[in-house]
Amino acid sequence: MSQQSRPEIAVDGFPRRSRLGSWADMVASADHKDVAKILLVGSGGFLFLAAIELLLMRLQLAIPENTFMEPYTFNRVLSLYGATSIFFFALPLVMGLFLYVAPLQVGARGTALPRLSQIGGALWVAGAVVLYSGFLWTPSEAGVNPLPPLSELAFLSNNGVDAWLTACGFATLGFILVAIDLVTTLQVDRAPGMAWRRAPIFAWAAAVGSWLMLFIGPILLAAFTMLMIDRNYDGTFFVDGAGGAPLLWQHFTWLFYSGAYMLVLIFAFAAVAEIFAVFSGNELFNRQAVMTSIVAVAVIGTLAYMQNMYTAPLGIGWKYFAMLFSLALIVPVGLIFFNLIATLNGGALRMRAPVLFSIGALVMISLGLAAEMQQSLVGAAFYLKNTTDSTAATSFALIGGAVFGGFAALHYWFPKITGRAMGEQLGRISFWITTLGTLIAFVPMALAGWEQGQVVDAYKFFNHTGVNFYNLLASIGVLILFVGVVLILINAVASVKGGARAGHDPWGGDTLEWFTVSPPPVHNFDVQPDVRSARPLRDIRAAIASRAEQAEERAARESQPVA
Amino acid sequence: MTPHSPGTGQINTLIWIGFFAALIVFVAINLGLFGAIRRNLGGRGRTATQPRARQGLQFRVVGLLSGFAALLFVLGIIFTSNATSTPKTTADGLTSFHGEKLEGPLVIKTTGQQWIWRYNYPNGAFSYYKLVIPVHTEIELKLQSTDVIHTWNVPDLTPKVEAVPGKTTAVYFRADSEGEFWGQSSTLSGQAYAPMRIAVEVVSPERFEEFTTEQQKNIRKGNEAAGQIDSQRAEEMEEGSGDEPSAEEIEAAEEAKPSGSEEEE
Repeated sequence: MSQQSRPEIAVDGFPRRSRLGSWADMVASADHKDVAKILLVGSGGFLFLAAIELLLMRLQLAIPENTFMEPYTFNRVLSLYGATSIFFFALPLVMGLFLYVAPLQVGARGTALPRLSQIGGALWVAGAVVLYSGFLWTPSEAGVNPLPPLSELAFLSNNGVDAWLTACGFATLGFILVAIDLVTTLQVDRAPGMAWRRAPIFAWAAAVGSWLMLFIGPILLAAFTMLMIDRNYDGTFFVDGAGGAPLLWQHFTWLFYSGAYMLVLIFAFAAVAEIFAVFSGNELFNRQAVMTSIVAVAVIGTLAYMQNMYTAPLGIGWKYFAMLFSLALIVPVGLIFFNLIATLNGGALRMRAPVLFSIGALVMISLGLAAEMQQSLVGAAFYLKNTTDSTAATSFALIGGAVFGGFAALHYWFPKITGRAMGEQLGRISFWITTLGTLIAFVPMALAGWEQGQVVDAYKFFNHTGVNFYNLLASIGVLILFVGVVLILINAVASVKGGARAGHDPWGGDTLEWFTVSPPPVHNFDVQPDVRSARPLRDIRAAIASRAEQAEERAARESQPVA
Repeated sequence: MTPHSPGTGQINTLIWIGFFAALIVFVAINLGLFGAIRRNLGGRGRTATQPRARQGLQFRVVGLLSGFAALLFVLGIIFTSNATSTPKTTADGLTSFHGEKLEGPLVIKTTGQQWIWRYNYPNGAFSYYKLVIPVHTEIELKLQSTDVIHTWNVPDLTPKVEAVPGKTTAVYFRADSEGEFWGQSSTLSGQAYAPMRIAVEVVSPERFEEFTTEQQKNIRKGNEAAGQIDSQRAEEMEEGSGDEPSAEEIEAAEEAKPSGSEEEE
């Protein structure tokens, strides 16, 4: 049997860049890959900042009744951490990778509305500048989700909340613009023959995720605008007794946060699906079921948003409704897990850093979602909601999705983005340290919440409440997690210039992003291949191999002496 | 959490049901995952031979997961409705209050404000910080907030419920043991959110009657003292001799106030 050779592509001769410097080029560029790189590099930086902020809060909570931080300082860091981790780390990482990879995977030569993505990226940068410059002079003290009336002018009268809303609003608007570009591109710019049933699972998740962002993003922007009107123009949207309702804010924002949670999950599931398939040499097991389940997770998970409002004064019927949706999520999530695991069956798994991070992602997500399932029971949430147990559950799922899933994806697509591979050894070391740190940080937090009902967002806890040891352990865990995250980031930064040259298709992938050179040229592909199956690159390799075989046979025939 | 009311007993049971369900899910996923990894690690010369996906298998998995979710949903509804159902006062509880027969629950208006809780008892008495209630008695807390959202959270006795400005939320429960119970608000409400603790003292019905009578008396005394100072001040103003109340006057008024309470609005 002949060995399959890689497809040969000749695009190296094209000029890639203008005479501007590479950063200036990137900022001025409307190329989806450049905008995505801004989001990805930025999200790495904000992961570092979020980790520092988490570490600062955990230092305050390492011992009971600690005076390391003033209450208002703690609330400021908490508010900043909430915005940084969601709007400036997790979502840009997800949207950035979708924007970089999905158009390549469907064989598009660019995105359909590149200027929208460019403006989206610029808005996100503007949001980051507003958030951190705002933090320097008037920080918000309203927490991760600035609930009115606390976030109204009567209770927080400086401009901190306004800056927070503006920053997160800019970022959200940026994500919406990127989502519009992605939805359009994936709909109209797919390569010939690439029907949705043949689309790579990551590109499918990008389409579903972008539609989800188009649904939840404007709702959050509406809520932000209403709160800004309340604060600055005597509005009464969230003011009780004046026709407004504080609970309205919770409906809007929890819908967004639940949708964003699902966005991170479907991103991680899709990335793991790609990685498991490639590294086990198999096809994704039951692609159709996984595709359907991804849509179901996005829809059902977002509709279960009232799970966050079990302790709010809502009718019990609404709470049962939320419980129904939360528990219904078991079916699509279970099916995704089942098919991801089944993908490994009969394969020959290569245990490389992307696979390790993928396994870490599945373990952490399963731990987080199992704990969330416990809290989706209304009665159980009457005790567990707003305890550190609920924080731990969400953190496991989101760290599993965004940090482990994100870094699995980054390890996997890093060679495509930079032309070089991330360091394997440092990748493995950082994986184990991050895993250890996550478990040591969040298991004790879960126990403190479950056993003693330790509440969230409090700047101190009291002595003799049975949580001293758990908190100390959690703080040590966050320190270890911080070291792990820093190592991952060092690995990424060092590998941009110093990583081993990886070639165009280092993993033997089956999807079209590996058809082009690394890093891809501005126009992505010289030739758009005709797609005949869900594994187009495998088909191309087979075609090349069979042509080579035919040529060999012909040559052998011609060299035989005529009788 | 150590349940001391019928409702929290149901909550605790549901938490354990949820825990075992979560454990089953977590173990099943990870056993499957690590089993598959162990079986399929690529060795030298090993090639992938993937089995075909069968539709029937997917349907069986969906059926199993749906059944599991449906079972949890039904259990969730049963235990939640038990936890929120109104528990009746028993024979050992407070059946009459200051000579009047109690027909329904003992209603206590509970108001959250930055950063303390206030309790108004049916006889006009009130207290701050510590709620005193009779044992074995059906209690209805009418939760309100005067400023931002606060969460009523005393895990051993009641479900957690938010007090939202502009809304009144009822919480029903019955404490079945005497003693002191602690809680803490669990929604960020500003700078002094962390120390906004809740103390609930469950006492015998007799002691409860004594407490509310005592509080009422102290409040009356405090009001009278404040009234006296007011009228004294008014006289002094009329005579043109009074400016600020003296330190002794303020001290006397403070001492006359009942401990842990403020002047009735």
